[in-house]
Amino acid sequence: MTASTHSFTAPADLEKGIKSWRTRALAVGVVALAAGAAGGLGNPDQFFRSYLWAYLFFVGVTIGCMALLMLQYLTGGAWGVVIRRLCEAATRTFPLLLVLFLPVVLGISHLYSWSHPEVAAADEAIRHKQAYLNVPFFLGRAAFYFLGWIVFALLLNKWSLAQDTEPGSRQQLKLQLVSGPGLLFFGLSVTFMAIDWVMSIDPHWSSTMYGLLFIAGEGLSSMAFLITTLVILSRSRPFSEVITRRHLHDLGKLMFAFVMVWAYFSFSQFLIIWAGNLPEEIPWYVRRLHGGWGWVGLALAAFHFAVPFLLLLSRDIKRNYNLLTAVAVWLLVMRMVDLYWLVMPEFRKGEFGVSWMDFVIPIGLGGIWLAAFTWQLPKRPLLPPGELHLEEALAHGRD
Amino acid sequence: MAEICSPLRLPLIAGRKKPAAVTEDVCRALTRPPSGLWWAAFAAAFALLLLGTAAVSYQIATGVGTWGLNTTVGWAFDITNFVFWVGIGHAGTLISAILFLFRQRWRTSVNRSAEAMTLFAVMCAGIFPVIHTGRPWLAYWLFPYPNFRGSLWINFRSPLAWDCFAISTYFLISATFWYVGLIPDLATVRDRLASTEGGSLRHRLFSIFSLGWNGSYRVWRHYEVLYLLLAGLATPLVISVHTIVSWDFATAVIPGWHATIFPPYFVAGAIFSGIAMVLTLMLVARKAMGLEDYITTRHVDVMCKLLLLTSGIVALAYGTEFFTAFYSGNPYEEFVFLNRAKGPFAWAYWTMVSCNVLVPQLLWFRRVRRSMGVVFVLSLLINVGMWFERFVIIVTSLHRDFLPSSWASYRPTIVEVSTLAGSFGLFFTCFLIFCRILPVIAMGEVKAVLSHGQGNGGEA
Repeated sequence: MTASTHSFTAPADLEKGIKSWRTRALAVGVVALAAGAAGGLGNPDQFFRSYLWAYLFFVGVTIGCMALLMLQYLTGGAWGVVIRRLCEAATRTFPLLLVLFLPVVLGISHLYSWSHPEVAAADEAIRHKQAYLNVPFFLGRAAFYFLGWIVFALLLNKWSLAQDTEPGSRQQLKLQLVSGPGLLFFGLSVTFMAIDWVMSIDPHWSSTMYGLLFIAGEGLSSMAFLITTLVILSRSRPFSEVITRRHLHDLGKLMFAFVMVWAYFSFSQFLIIWAGNLPEEIPWYVRRLHGGWGWVGLALAAFHFAVPFLLLLSRDIKRNYNLLTAVAVWLLVMRMVDLYWLVMPEFRKGEFGVSWMDFVIPIGLGGIWLAAFTWQLPKRPLLPPGELHLEEALAHGRD
Repeated sequence: MAEICSPLRLPLIAGRKKPAAVTEDVCRALTRPPSGLWWAAFAAAFALLLLGTAAVSYQIATGVGTWGLNTTVGWAFDITNFVFWVGIGHAGTLISAILFLFRQRWRTSVNRSAEAMTLFAVMCAGIFPVIHTGRPWLAYWLFPYPNFRGSLWINFRSPLAWDCFAISTYFLISATFWYVGLIPDLATVRDRLASTEGGSLRHRLFSIFSLGWNGSYRVWRHYEVLYLLLAGLATPLVISVHTIVSWDFATAVIPGWHATIFPPYFVAGAIFSGIAMVLTLMLVARKAMGLEDYITTRHVDVMCKLLLLTSGIVALAYGTEFFTAFYSGNPYEEFVFLNRAKGPFAWAYWTMVSCNVLVPQLLWFRRVRRSMGVVFVLSLLINVGMWFERFVIIVTSLHRDFLPSSWASYRPTIVEVSTLAGSFGLFFTCFLIFCRILPVIAMGEVKAVLSHGQGNGGEA
């Protein structure tokens, strides 16, 4: 059984299934987002908060997929072959995400207190940061992040497609060459994106770990998303013929690693700020540990780390399609909770609360994003036929 | 069963060796008399070790006042050396445990010597906090144990106490892991010695330490499970040790120390310096011991890529810290960073930036990664840069504190410099002895990857 005897294009029945998913996702997404927008007319503050939070989740999954794509080119690991086309489809949603960023731009004055000249004028600390925190520069930086993400996504997709018709090491080399600078850009852009879009909600607080928290969270959520999608797709050809428990085991281990990295970064930041107990730093945690938010923080420690950690230690769970997917979906939910805990306490100081918009807007954004993902996914063979590691990756599943 | 691997996988071991040739190549160094080069290196290392011993003896007999410390700069040279050596130790466990879990097969050629290097580096590191206590004969007070000294008990909230546990655990696990990895090779040496010098002391020692290894299927199966479990246990330690070292600084409120990015930043820096030290040693060892077929240009190339990655992480951390110092608006933070770049220790700061960020950028080029001379020079520069990184973090954050009237400078004394030189002497003495008495390449593991990628031709 060699690669050339396979056709990795999605067969008609799978394509039909994906299409019906797409239609439903789009319908639900548009209705939910419209409902959210309608609510936003009455309560714009809440709309923009919920929107920013949901947006961070989906943009994070997409960026994470691109980082994993580049990582597998650089390390030359065969583990990435089976998820490569899923990652590529995700990176082709960057243009959509650029459009979906517009509501955040419209909401700058609702989200970021530093954008108000009168607030800045009255606040020494904010005035000091005006060279960095001002609306034109904020927009310029956002444009720069998107430009970089879209250019790297474009190149990664272009050369990968070229490899389908021209197998060989020429395209592979180009993909490797672009992945080095790409990962560098990923590290820088996510660090500053996290500072701009999230940390600056409280312009008085800063932490050098913050960007890394997002890098870890994005890696984790994209891995969980890819595992879930792969398991769903593995019910029909071509994945049903090639994906085995061994592939799942490897991906599960990487997800396990990301769970630990996330916990390591989060706990380190907490310990250092708790031990220092400085007046300019500790309020950030005080807001997140009192008035009901403390329960969310505890829930994160228990269900974003402890429980998944214990479950993923088990080899049997990592090799079980349904159980591993359950853990992956659970981690996606916890990633949303984590982002909620990072964003919302700034707006709901001292009191935990949830708005109905916190339900409809993620559903709306998620529906639209999934529709774009499922629109892009079947456009290419689901496994890259020209990939030089393909035989090794498939053989790894068999023995 | 033939292993299916992609056409991109090139052979790991050059020269299409048969397993018997591996044993022959690696064990040759154990039975032939040492070369003149070895004696020269050993004499130099041992002389440094003696110098260090003299310096430490003088310091213990006289007191910590023989160092250049003052009330403002209470931590300087010794803690710098401590962090430096602990960092050097990280590459060994990274290569032996983490790369094992990631199935990076190239590790087999370097893991043995990298792990040995880890053990010697941790030994060197351990000296410094112990002599800094001033009364090293009471160093056991660092451990909590039931005692009759009333309320004298360590402070469990202090990362310095955690260091004590972290490093001793790290040393024990690394030593165990190293020894377990050695057992099959010890048995190989034992069997070789049986024919030439059966019954000699050396043969008997190898017999005892190979624990009756007979190479049967059953023994190998148990062995591989044990090795995997130990790799799993050792992996968190790679991260935890330098994380706790970073907490020594970060949990304090000194500007320049109190930064949340410290844990991953220190770990990345440790791996960076450790790999550089592995390259420094291996580039010499492969030449001197004729191991070019085992430690090939590809191995060097891969380690250079790891250097580039960790250099990138370290650079991102430098940049983030500098940016946040401005962004935080905290005048003390801002001052510390400007003082690093422009103050009296600016030369140290720019040495650090040049060696750790600028120079490694050369490694983007494949030609640089594959020319051994250039890589050797780069690895030395990175070692220097990483030593200065710790010096910059420790001394520049302390020497100009909140109160200008207490500002002071720091200058190491001859005793401190000799102690540092002595630690290098200890490290190299141990390493040179290791090269003579134990197989420097994991023969059992290398034999398992001999066929890897051989079908794809090409040179390694």
